[in-house]
Amino acid sequence: MLVALLALLFHLRLPGKLPSEASYRAVAERLQAEARPGDAVLLFPWWAERARLFLPPSLPVYGYLGSDRDDLSAHPRVWVLGQPELPRSDEDAFLASFLPERRAVGTATHEGPLSLALYENGRHRPRRFNAADLVSRARVYLESDDGARQPCPFDGTAHRCPGPGNVYVAREWHEILYEPRRCLWMPAPGGARRLVAELDGVPGDVGLRLEGGIIFEYAFPRDAQLTPAVLGVDDAASGARLLEVAIAPGQEGVKKSEVHLPPGEARTVKVWVRSQNPDRRAVCLDVLAVEPAVGVKG
Amino acid sequence: MMGRPATRDERYVAWALWTLAFVALWLTESAVGYTRDESVYFAAAEGYAGWFRQLFHSPAKALTDAAIVRAWDYNHEHPVLMKTLFGLSHLLFHDTLGWMRSATAFRLPAFALAALVPALSFLFGSALYGRTAGLFAALAFMLVPRQYFNAELACFDLPVAALWLLVVYCFWRALEDTRWGIACGVAFGLALATKHNALFLPFVLTPFALWRAWTASEGEPEARAWLLRFVGVFSAVAVFYGLLVLSLGGGEGFQKKFLLLSPHTLLFAGLAAGGAWTLKGLEKVSAPVTRALVPVAAMAVLGPVIFYLHWPYLWHQPVDRTAWYLAFHAKHNHYAWFYLGTLLREPPFPLSYVLVKTALTVPTSLFAPMVTGFVALAARGVLGQLERTRAWVRPLTMAEVLVGANAVTSILIISHPQVPHFGGVKHWFPSMVFLGLLAGQAVSRGCGALVERLKERWPSLPGVAVVTGVFALLLAPALVYSARVFPYGTAAYSELAGGAAGAATLGMQRQFWSSHVTGVLPWINEHAKPGARLFLHEVHGGSFRDYQRNGMLRPDLRAVGSPFDADIVAYQYHQEFREYEFQTWQSFGTRTPATGLYLDETPQVVVYVRPESR
Repeated sequence: MLVALLALLFHLRLPGKLPSEASYRAVAERLQAEARPGDAVLLFPWWAERARLFLPPSLPVYGYLGSDRDDLSAHPRVWVLGQPELPRSDEDAFLASFLPERRAVGTATHEGPLSLALYENGRHRPRRFNAADLVSRARVYLESDDGARQPCPFDGTAHRCPGPGNVYVAREWHEILYEPRRCLWMPAPGGARRLVAELDGVPGDVGLRLEGGIIFEYAFPRDAQLTPAVLGVDDAASGARLLEVAIAPGQEGVKKSEVHLPPGEARTVKVWVRSQNPDRRAVCLDVLAVEPAVGVKG
Repeated sequence: MMGRPATRDERYVAWALWTLAFVALWLTESAVGYTRDESVYFAAAEGYAGWFRQLFHSPAKALTDAAIVRAWDYNHEHPVLMKTLFGLSHLLFHDTLGWMRSATAFRLPAFALAALVPALSFLFGSALYGRTAGLFAALAFMLVPRQYFNAELACFDLPVAALWLLVVYCFWRALEDTRWGIACGVAFGLALATKHNALFLPFVLTPFALWRAWTASEGEPEARAWLLRFVGVFSAVAVFYGLLVLSLGGGEGFQKKFLLLSPHTLLFAGLAAGGAWTLKGLEKVSAPVTRALVPVAAMAVLGPVIFYLHWPYLWHQPVDRTAWYLAFHAKHNHYAWFYLGTLLREPPFPLSYVLVKTALTVPTSLFAPMVTGFVALAARGVLGQLERTRAWVRPLTMAEVLVGANAVTSILIISHPQVPHFGGVKHWFPSMVFLGLLAGQAVSRGCGALVERLKERWPSLPGVAVVTGVFALLLAPALVYSARVFPYGTAAYSELAGGAAGAATLGMQRQFWSSHVTGVLPWINEHAKPGARLFLHEVHGGSFRDYQRNGMLRPDLRAVGSPFDADIVAYQYHQEFREYEFQTWQSFGTRTPATGLYLDETPQVVVYVRPESR
């Protein structure tokens, strides 16, 4: 009977823990007024996405399985929109993942059961180059072992290659292990050929970073006929391999690799993808030139 | 263990419970969306009903294999008892009489079957543990939100749970009346004709029949001899079937040579004749032993016969088509399923899955007495085996063990790590019925103890007042929870989980089967431009048609198969389908939804509108 009383109490108390539209609107107004370009909103708990209905569309909102641990390295400041009173919300566990290298700016405010707190993001890594931003200016082609090239002309939205319709390069939203990423869609063309995007203007004295993975449900299968997808970045002038990542069948999530480029002139890089069997080797990737993490001041 | 007939009062209460459940389901069904499977069954049912029309108008033509295949080939993954009832109900109540909307007419037979659960739970529980237990079991079953939700659907999970209970009830009643043994065989045939879960019933019930026959034949050598002959007939037939399989080079050869006139059918006829012969012999020497064994023989003979007769699809090619049906379920696909933060895609699945999922979905005030009822039963079983502790406990009756065995059977089957784990809790509903009975017993004993204690202080206190109070306290949270989550049954999570919000944090499957789209259809009807293209993610094409057919979706709206072709997308939040939402962002150029269905903050269905089509 005690269990029944507790259960009843749970149901009676629950409505008071749920935010009203007015609470969301108040939070949205504050963000509209105080958020700066480059800021992001992180949801806690990660799944509480109703906030998307109300928050300013210009503000990126992060909330996916695993987003508590996301560096959000593109953003110097992060607003945490939390609902710590929801059943089983574990704020301590959230903060244990979120807080390292971050510092609260001011105190959290509350709108009903919603809490809003601003943090300086010490894990921010200023971007000096992002391949996805420059994709329209890339030179894209299929490259054979012997160096022969088949161009993939840009049609205004994508660089489309001859052959199967899915072989093109464009910046698109895709899921890699639940995480939404606006990345370069670069599926492996199959055989010994590589799909290559040549990009100019990668500066020196920065970290050159390759992040990529197989999208959606295609990463999970480990069928014997599937082959690893290999992605890499070469220096176009010297042909030197700067970065390479292999994604074996069954390997989910974003794989990352980074190298420090020496100071010097901006260079041209070849970003490429290949896999012997193109089946389900649906790669989406990012190539970034980033500065070191800014760290927490003070 | 002896069965006992229901008293007149108990029959009245059982009818009242059946009526209450049936009316409640009927009155509330219009809010419940059409699950992916249900629209397939609607279409199948309509096709099957069409065949009955043809049978009426030109029987010779209808009975040809070509005509049968044309009508019955669709959805031959499942037997057709329920689909036939859905179709005939639709033909009568919607097409012919026009008394109700299409979906209600399809669903009506499902309500009738589901309403059997509280009625039979009451009868069985009352006979075994007293009326308090029976009544609690009956009410508690319908107040589990996921069970109530499934009871609304023109599907098979609740009907097969009801028929499983009916088979066990008939089996138990057969111990005092042979006619119930025949009824047990008929009920088993109907259960087989409903869903393949029923295939496991003989394995659960036969040991009890043999146990009862063995104990009843003690000191009666002639009865014991006939019992052994009965067992010998069944064992010999099983051995011969085994030899036949081996001699014909395995299952495939066995299947190929299985003809109307073949050793296979001869063995079946031998089983029927041998069973009848031994039962005739037994009847002369021991009525209790006969009564114990009649259900076994009836299930063995009537089960396959009813299964064959009920399904026209089998009439011309019974063996190959039955083999296909069994193979389909033996090798069923695994669907992705989110569980405690992990997306389960393939076996082996966690052994604890069924227990955890049950604990997190059954209202905690009902789950607690289920656990105490079962634990008490198991403890008595264990303590009763040990010499030192035997005196501490009442020995278990066979009826109690029968309830306990049925309470765990479906749970154990689905817990096997190689068995598909999708579908929420519906695959072990037959167990939930019996766990409800054990909960009823626990509550009844608790009420008894409480009444005794309270009467020490207030001797004039009526026991019924205490029972009413306890029922109200235990059932109230379940009622509140049911009302709160209705009609979104596949999103129901208990207080132990922390409700839908707590379950989302635990990383449990948010919802499935697509029926929650009803939460956003009114908004879409109001806001979609004329002729708008809709991508209702996960919603079966048949369901789209059914929403329009039943007036829940504007008829001018058009279904499309991808966010890229759509003006409006209603994305069903599934962890494994996140890509579809991000495709929508890509296609629409916005990450801001227009509206959505959020249960206790958890996204269930998220709606996006292409900016230029607003």
